[in-house]
Amino acid sequence: MTIPVSNFIANGRDLDQRQPNHRVNETQLIARVIAGDRLAGRTLYDTHAPRVYSLAYRLSGDAEKAREFTQDTFIRAFSRLSQFRGDAAFSTWLHRIVVTVVSNARRSELRMAREVELDEADGIEVSATEAEPDLKECISRAVDNLSDAYRMTLIMHDIEGYTHAEIAGILGVPEGTCKSRLSAARAQLRQELAAFKE
Amino acid sequence: MDENRFNDVIRELPRSFNEPPPPPLDEMWTVIEEAHFDAPVSISKPRGFASRAPWLAAAAALVLGIGLGRYLPRGANPSELPAPSAIAANSTTPTPDTSAVAAAYRDQTNRYLGQAAALLISLPARDASGKTDATFATKATDLLVTTRLLIDSPAAAQDPKLHSLLEDLELVLVQIARLHTEKNKGDLDLIHQAVEQGDVLSRLNSAVATTQSSE
Repeated sequence: MTIPVSNFIANGRDLDQRQPNHRVNETQLIARVIAGDRLAGRTLYDTHAPRVYSLAYRLSGDAEKAREFTQDTFIRAFSRLSQFRGDAAFSTWLHRIVVTVVSNARRSELRMAREVELDEADGIEVSATEAEPDLKECISRAVDNLSDAYRMTLIMHDIEGYTHAEIAGILGVPEGTCKSRLSAARAQLRQELAAFKE
Repeated sequence: MDENRFNDVIRELPRSFNEPPPPPLDEMWTVIEEAHFDAPVSISKPRGFASRAPWLAAAAALVLGIGLGRYLPRGANPSELPAPSAIAANSTTPTPDTSAVAAAYRDQTNRYLGQAAALLISLPARDASGKTDATFATKATDLLVTTRLLIDSPAAAQDPKLHSLLEDLELVLVQIARLHTEKNKGDLDLIHQAVEQGDVLSRLNSAVATTQSSE
């Protein structure tokens, strides 16, 4: 009887803490994907896709975009699997790709939004009777107002539960930078929410 | 908002900020599987171009061989060459001049970047006839070979910006190379989207400017 490969693969969240034999199995799985094995590809995908999708959704706030980002991440990852040297955990390597994909798209969106804002700046009247936003809306706005680096760190740490070591590996910065970014992000959030009255 | 309330807000963030729905795993996999495993131009083996274009691989090997030959000590008989351990131990062994190699690499990169930029700029928004698709697909396949050679070159490894640009170009070129197949017609929108999202054209322009200024 053949044991399904997925039985050897721990949940994506625990990849870094897995036993050495699990790592070996993931290495074998990667080799099989490089050789064109769809089943191995699906197993690798099933292991990591939920967490990749979750992060993509948190960062984009849109189900359609999260879907596209996840697809793009795996297509890119599979096409570059032969370049994966195993220096970092596979999950770290994969998350670097999703972070790049989302950041590029966000930069492009912001640039387009700025151009639209400039074009439409004239003739816009601000409604005086705008309803008071609720706390959830205020939080969303405050998080979105953070710079990319702060926003990414806050979402990954406080919302998605990544450790500082994981974030540092994914973003390619020292752990200390990660901690200071989180602290600055929280301070800015606190400041933005200070005026909120419940 | 006081300190305690703010701490509650942070604790509640996973439930209050963009809580994700269940991931559409099967739906996403269908797209990934089709893009990767069904691709006529294999993107699972980026370096396996030799099987598709053996003449090009032979030409590349020949150029590489001539290049290496020019930098080997002249008049050396293979039987007279010192053993590798002896070379390692001899610290006074002269190192070959690599400036000509670097210049050749720069020229090649510059030419390649120009061709890639020209291809992306001339890519039509839509093509009803399908004839243009085939032309672009052929050009993209040719450029893919150079892309992969450049990605694997040590010089690209020393330039992370260029390396990342080459990787993104590889992905775009693979998509263009697939245009000639019937089921991938209509992918032009996706290609333009990928070029735009990855800021590929402006990065290409900037890379061309950089390589030209370093000449």
